[in-house]
Amino acid sequence: MHELLLFASVPVHQHHELLQQLAGLTAMQPRHCLERRLIFKAYRKPGLVTARTGASQDLQSGDLQRLNKMLNGGMFYTQVVGPISEGDFGSAPIPVPTPDPDIQMAGMDDAKPSVTESPHSHYDYERQPWKLEFRDIPEAGTRSAVTTRVMSSALLPRGDIVPSMNAWGYSFVTEYVVEGDMFIHNDIVIFLHRVLHYPTAEHEYHEPRRQLPVFSEMAPLEKSGSYVLQAAITVQDGSNQETMKTASQHLFGLREQLRSAVRLEQADRLSLDTRAK
Amino acid sequence: MSSLNPDQIKVLEQSRQRLVQLTRSLGSLISSLNQSDPLPPWSSLQSQASIISNNLLSVSEQLSDQGDLLSALVAYPGPEYPGRTQANTLEQLLRTKLDPRVEDWVARGRAAGTESENSPATAPPDTLSDPNPNSSIEAAPAHPPLSGSQLAELWEWAPLEANQEARRRNWGGNFTLEEREAGVQNVVTGLRRQFEDDDEEEGDEEEEGEEEEEGEEGGEGGKEEMDIVGVHRKSGGGAGFEFDITVHHPHAVEPFVPLDEILRYMTTGRMP
Repeated sequence: MHELLLFASVPVHQHHELLQQLAGLTAMQPRHCLERRLIFKAYRKPGLVTARTGASQDLQSGDLQRLNKMLNGGMFYTQVVGPISEGDFGSAPIPVPTPDPDIQMAGMDDAKPSVTESPHSHYDYERQPWKLEFRDIPEAGTRSAVTTRVMSSALLPRGDIVPSMNAWGYSFVTEYVVEGDMFIHNDIVIFLHRVLHYPTAEHEYHEPRRQLPVFSEMAPLEKSGSYVLQAAITVQDGSNQETMKTASQHLFGLREQLRSAVRLEQADRLSLDTRAK
Repeated sequence: MSSLNPDQIKVLEQSRQRLVQLTRSLGSLISSLNQSDPLPPWSSLQSQASIISNNLLSVSEQLSDQGDLLSALVAYPGPEYPGRTQANTLEQLLRTKLDPRVEDWVARGRAAGTESENSPATAPPDTLSDPNPNSSIEAAPAHPPLSGSQLAELWEWAPLEANQEARRRNWGGNFTLEEREAGVQNVVTGLRRQFEDDDEEEGDEEEEGEEEEEGEEGGEGGKEEMDIVGVHRKSGGGAGFEFDITVHHPHAVEPFVPLDEILRYMTTGRMP
């Protein structure tokens, strides 16, 4: 799948106003979102797939070549995202007995219920749902003025995700919380968000936190508290020029509509570089 | 006069050049009036008008300077002129009488000129509306134009009178005294929001005045302040208006960390 994006920086004093403008434009109330985002970095080449070498190299189809390149060529940063709610912050940890592998296994099959709906007020790390989000580096040299990149998402088992990620050759780098509001405008997902840091602790965390601090202790990454406006369209078939063109036309339309409020722009390609060197 | 010497040809050429310039600037004014919608800004119209007036001036100078030569010249077709095929053009060129329409313009212009010279106070230069310039002299005008001395008198009188009129008003309210007396609800403001004065209308006038002043002093104005937004026509010729929604904020804080750095942190966890 492909993702087309435009970004804008929103100063904090404009945030409230922009929320209202977006609510008017999209005819919907903002959907407040809180997400834990864990960043993982590949430390070894993911599973080597030896390509069948045929009689002639010409026989190797383009698709297979591309797949091989994707699997063996690069090492990437990837994100594991889990939805949380404000009530999860600062709640007392539940006295969990030693994590039983069976519980984790049960979590894998369980797709639906989320932690945010659980009646008990404490944060249960073992029940935290996760989603793996892979984003490629934005495509280079596109004439269009939107950021385009290959993306893919997959559901992950609940609970402690680090062992699974390690098994796939990813190590935990850091984590942060994204706070923001989401709007849907036709096929565009508008996400007005900012990054929150955990309070600096005495010891460095080398794995995801099992409990969350009080929400008021979370500090924005950008000290003035500014937000990032992201407008995104997901396209199923990125090779279809027609749909890609339509999608970017829609984004440009939104950019025109918001022009007097914010300047939606293409992001710097290298700032979204997910390749791990 | 058998043939023209080079100087005389030069004079003719100069006249031609100036006439060409005049036609060009007239043409550009006409086309800008015809084509641009909305009308071009007054400043551009004025500058075009002044260009035309300069052109006219130079043409008129040229014609009067070289009047002797020009009136002495006689035009006739040369033997090599294709008189049979280009007969129409030839007739146009050799016309000695003006076009009837042009004759009319010239007559009107002359009449206006003589009137303003001779008796500015009595004879109205009503040439714009009156198709027959001669009749306007006899017609008794309702508002004769002012002579120079009358104008000066008016200018002397008007500022003082305007000032006196202004002093009689109580400035700062939303309505004038006359509007209050006639009833505020009858005033057509063209605005949707209701003014505060509407509720106070029942009380007597003095009370109102006090309340109004209290309101002013009490800083209510700050709350009532409207957001001033810029409105301009949609760019690209589309119908409708665009609004500058970005209101100037009193406590504007621009972000310190550039967007790129935030995105980089979100992608790789590298601190800005």
